[in-house]
Amino acid sequence: MSSFKPKIIAFCCYNCAYAAADLAGTMRLQYDPCVSVIGVPCTGAIDLTTVLTAFEEGADGVFIAGCLKGECHYKVGNLRALERVKYLKRVLSEAGIDGDRLEMYFLSAAMGSRFAEIAKEMTDRIRGMGPLPLNGCPEEGEGK
Amino acid sequence: MIVAERKPLAEIVAALGKCRKVLVVSCSGCTAVCFTGGAKQAEVLASSIRMHYRVAGVPVNTGTVAVTRQCDREFLQPIEHRLTGVDAVVSLACGVGVQFLAEAFADLWVVPALNTRFAGGRVGTTLWEERCRMCGDCILHLTGGICPVTRCSKSLLNGPCGGAAGEHCEIDSSIPCAWIHIYERLKRAGRLELWQKLQQPKDWSRGNAGGLGRLAREDYSE
Amino acid sequence: MGVEKSGRVMVVGGGIGGIQAALDLAQAGFSVYLVEQRYAIGGTMPILSRTFPSNECSLCNISPRLVECGRKPGVTVMTGTEVLAAEGEPGAFKVRLLEHPRSVLIDRCRACGDCAGVCPVEVPDEFNQGLAKRKAIYQPYPQGFPKAYVVDRTACLECSACEAVCKPEAINRAQKPREIMLDVGAIVLCLGFQPFDPTGLQRYGYGRITNVITSLEFERVLSSGGPSHGRLVMPDGKVPGKIAWVQCVGSRKNSDGQRHCSSVCCMASIKMALAATEQSEVAVEAVIFHQDVRTWGKGYERYYRRARDQGIRFERAAVERVEDAGAGQVRVVFAGEDGKTRYENYDLVVLAVGMQPHDDLPRRLNLKLTEDGFIATGTGSLVTSRPGIYAAGCCTGPKDISGTVTEAAAAASEVAVLLGGARGTNSNNAKHAASERDVRAETPKVGVFVCRCGVNIGGVVDVPQVVSEASKMANVVAAEELTYACSQDSQNYIKEVIRKKGLNRLVIASCSPRTHKFLFQNTLREAGINRYLCEMTNIRDHCAWVHGSEPQKATAKAAGLVRMAVAKARTLEPVEEITGAVVPSALVVGAGAAGLSAALGLAEQGFEVHLVEKSDHLGGYAARTYFDPSVPDLPAFISKLIDRVMTHPLIFAHLQRQVAEVRGHIGNFTSVLDNGDTIKHGVAVLAPGSAEYRGDEYLPGDPDVLTLSEMDSLLGRGKGNSLHNVVFIQCVGSRNETRPYCSRSCCTRSLDLALQVKVQSPACNVYILYRDMMTFGRYEKLYQRARGAGVVFIRFDPEKNKPRVIRNENNLTVSVPDHILRRTLIIDCDKVVLATATVPDDVKALAGLFKVAADSDGYFLEAHHSLRPVDFAAAGIYMCGDAHAPKTLEESILQAKAVAARAGAVLNRGVVEAGGVFARVDPQKCVTCLNCTLICPYNVPVIRERYSEIEPIQCQGCGICVAECPNNAIDLVGYRKDQMAAQVRALLRGEV
Repeated sequence: MSSFKPKIIAFCCYNCAYAAADLAGTMRLQYDPCVSVIGVPCTGAIDLTTVLTAFEEGADGVFIAGCLKGECHYKVGNLRALERVKYLKRVLSEAGIDGDRLEMYFLSAAMGSRFAEIAKEMTDRIRGMGPLPLNGCPEEGEGK
Repeated sequence: MIVAERKPLAEIVAALGKCRKVLVVSCSGCTAVCFTGGAKQAEVLASSIRMHYRVAGVPVNTGTVAVTRQCDREFLQPIEHRLTGVDAVVSLACGVGVQFLAEAFADLWVVPALNTRFAGGRVGTTLWEERCRMCGDCILHLTGGICPVTRCSKSLLNGPCGGAAGEHCEIDSSIPCAWIHIYERLKRAGRLELWQKLQQPKDWSRGNAGGLGRLAREDYSE
Repeated sequence: MGVEKSGRVMVVGGGIGGIQAALDLAQAGFSVYLVEQRYAIGGTMPILSRTFPSNECSLCNISPRLVECGRKPGVTVMTGTEVLAAEGEPGAFKVRLLEHPRSVLIDRCRACGDCAGVCPVEVPDEFNQGLAKRKAIYQPYPQGFPKAYVVDRTACLECSACEAVCKPEAINRAQKPREIMLDVGAIVLCLGFQPFDPTGLQRYGYGRITNVITSLEFERVLSSGGPSHGRLVMPDGKVPGKIAWVQCVGSRKNSDGQRHCSSVCCMASIKMALAATEQSEVAVEAVIFHQDVRTWGKGYERYYRRARDQGIRFERAAVERVEDAGAGQVRVVFAGEDGKTRYENYDLVVLAVGMQPHDDLPRRLNLKLTEDGFIATGTGSLVTSRPGIYAAGCCTGPKDISGTVTEAAAAASEVAVLLGGARGTNSNNAKHAASERDVRAETPKVGVFVCRCGVNIGGVVDVPQVVSEASKMANVVAAEELTYACSQDSQNYIKEVIRKKGLNRLVIASCSPRTHKFLFQNTLREAGINRYLCEMTNIRDHCAWVHGSEPQKATAKAAGLVRMAVAKARTLEPVEEITGAVVPSALVVGAGAAGLSAALGLAEQGFEVHLVEKSDHLGGYAARTYFDPSVPDLPAFISKLIDRVMTHPLIFAHLQRQVAEVRGHIGNFTSVLDNGDTIKHGVAVLAPGSAEYRGDEYLPGDPDVLTLSEMDSLLGRGKGNSLHNVVFIQCVGSRNETRPYCSRSCCTRSLDLALQVKVQSPACNVYILYRDMMTFGRYEKLYQRARGAGVVFIRFDPEKNKPRVIRNENNLTVSVPDHILRRTLIIDCDKVVLATATVPDDVKALAGLFKVAADSDGYFLEAHHSLRPVDFAAAGIYMCGDAHAPKTLEESILQAKAVAARAGAVLNRGVVEAGGVFARVDPQKCVTCLNCTLICPYNVPVIRERYSEIEPIQCQGCGICVAECPNNAIDLVGYRKDQMAAQVRALLRGEV
């Protein structure tokens, strides 16, 4: 398992979590390069299918990071995201994938060190879980 | 509208068995509205099926297609070209849609992805509730627009029973007693005489106890 | 009378204040000369490492605005230029300027640095506070605008080495100083401040002891662009483990400095202490030696609490001297509250130097100065002693960035009132955007520009490798690296490549799209391509900076991020600018001093104003108050303000009315009042004000225990002539767990009333029990006056020894332990005055109605603490007064004027544009399920016909409805599901 190089996607809202990730940079906090951030206007915009696509395309872990509860710039986007994450955890485990490969976090723009911590937390968690079970099996592709 | 809920994935994949090419068909009718049968749920289900099989080491090919209403043959014909080589079709329509799909394509293995629950409507942002049990013998004009068949736990035609606790049903305290509400409405309308009139038992032969329901247009014969 | 007014305005000083004033004035239709004495605009902000209390990178915050100044039609930036004299009258000034020779032609210079490479002369670099060297030919700082070098003629050896290597032949040492005459209608001075120089002071050892530095020097040490690239090292090269900050150096009568408080040093020191502990490679022990901790601003008290929680030590002490303790140690000798002298040794001592006024220009212009030497302005106004000349920011007194920005905008609104009719008459710098090429039928041609950000990215990521990988990605027709993608010359270069290679998509791999995307979108637009065909990826903050120790992995990740951006860029679609007309009227909610000032500021610019007030009178609490330290003779002031509002033909007051319903969006709101009246308006101003907290502390209902406003009323009616002993208790209900904020005006109001007690009952003993006296800026002198008048100040610690008040038969007894005497004082008194907290009024209800946000303390939440202090995140809605945060009355009035500038500019423009990110419904797929209409937090989607409709101007672009739509009928333009999937695929599969 030591050769395992996880791939982790972090969907972050521009208002808070993305800004926190920026701040982690300003503070030069170091985390594993296996974490890549994709910016979104609000975590409430993240579609169920986008997260599932990430797993199907080979992400070993995904986390969604929005504003602090009650501080969403769009009022409830982060709470909607949380509920979708809970639902998706069930969808994943139904399909035989550990739901804890997906997580939701809440951050303010000032929480640069927390972002780095989360990146580390997820990296450690996914390393502990090993590769996504899908990554052992080639997919057939979609017949559209 | 028809309200339905998603079956557990295990049940769906058990029905798919060794099928290797699967098409998930959504319905833009009732089940899309109640958030179980739309194009998005089709994609989620297709993804779940793919992941399930890949975890098991046997990849399947899946796709999705949207149908305006699965309970109309005309809307089903346009998807015929998508069925080539497909081992099974998973339908996100109500039971009606599933059957129409099966009837439209005689050689197709059709798997229902939903359990059809009831005819009802939205009562909260994300909550649907039953309103009609299709008895074929409507008496809503006598009960103030409140259906005792669906909304009274005992489907009493003359009520309330002696068990109503407060304004709630003795069988399920989370639902209001239909008959108390019927009484209140009739009273407000000044028509309590309707409540006092004894209702005779229903003719269930017109409803779901009477065998295959059929209905033809009166002004048009085929 | 009869003067033909000019529509040109001169803004002097290119710091954040000057930039704000220039941009606001240009937005309002005026032509602006932005005159800066230095060779790059930016002022102090670029020097700072971060801004408090948001801890954001200061340079990153200001740099988009620097570039905006260069792009904004109507703004002409003049650097290296000083104002010599101004003559004339309001509306028509003749200004004489002196342009110093830059000796480098801005248009030709590419800022490549070849010249500096060969220059043999090294001199201390002013921007880095002398901690680094620069050449005789140099750039003021890398991100500065204009992006061009300058020859320091005093240091230059005239060896011509630079001229020999300058390929664009940009150097011209024959340039001579040049006098310029300009006609302008008004002048706005945003001169900033001069940091106090502690060199001459023996007691702090500055200049003698190596490891004693000023706060500005430490800002550079902390700055990632500083001499040590953000690595925490001392002047002696060692890494400090123990750092002390010494407050009030050159402020508050200390060390022969100024008498005023410099307002921001407490917060700046907290910020630096937090930054030091976070950035240092070793554990840092940080101690702040202070007299008071002045956390008077919005969010400041929370910041202070956070610092304490994180282990920053706050030592309340008077620092007597700083000495060399040998072995690289610095000794701080101080007297604690008990009066005993002690000392502690530190590795590094940072002197929090205060703000001093610039004296040259104000004197040359014959402006009246305050006793501290700052420019004197009118009450609740920024006009100087010379009508038509305004002053804003730190040149009128020390303040924070948010205050500076507010004043600058307020000055812009005063100019707009003065020159209203002349706006748009002089266009000195119209930049017409090129017409847009329709690229919809073209195959994507992507240009990728990878920024080195100097060494910020280039020092970790192998940029040529990333460029080479990018060049192989599908649809990429150009891939290049840039030293600083954000520089003006890079912008021009990118435009050139776009034209030459026929690009129709732009990918910038550099820093954060949060701060810079707008810039590159504009670049694309200026090259004739739709701005929304630009994609950015952050290979600095999210890659080079966080994977500094793993350059290979960082390079691979950067390539992945670029791949992802290219994948998305391919799928981008042009977005048409959707515009809507603006209803030329404003709704102002709340008719206190702030609401009245905002209404008047807008009406005087010629716009109709509907003023809605729930009570039956205008003026709010100011109309019931006699004394205010920020507004002398308040009753006269407020009655004049009310009179002007009442008699203004464009202001319609709706008294005893509340807003019941609000629909619409910027440019086109419809509000329904509780009587059914309907008002259509283009902008809305929310100024509901605040209330005075009382709570159940300290004998509620007791006739001799008064709040500040009750005491004000007593003294205002002249009933304070038989008082013997009066005790003021500060921070009642403020700065605690429930309300972790300072109420800002209570200390100064208490002092003002204490002095009034002394006037009415000269023999009366007055005690003020306080925690920290929040007498920031000029109010420090009020504190000094009160002490001079014999007011006794006793500090208490609310956790250890809160004062107690006991009711006796004929009087009250206050007991409070005294730190200095170390015994409990018992004071018998006739009145106890409670300086109770300010609490927001109606904020919650209005926030719900207008769908805007409130912060965790219950006040309105602005779009950005420092740079957009009066704007809501929702466009077209503005805030002022106490509902934003507690403040002095004068600050409320100035904030209202700032709102008048911001809101007035929208009304003046007449059209609004939709943002590029909005939800779009495919009617074919919509099943009218109503999910979007039920779940949208702004109630934007409506189903009129057979499908949901979402108005782009109204849509906030959150995308919540997209994820809610069961039939995938809604997409978020700019973040479509297929685009997200393409990004994910490109990243994970390495597909190019």
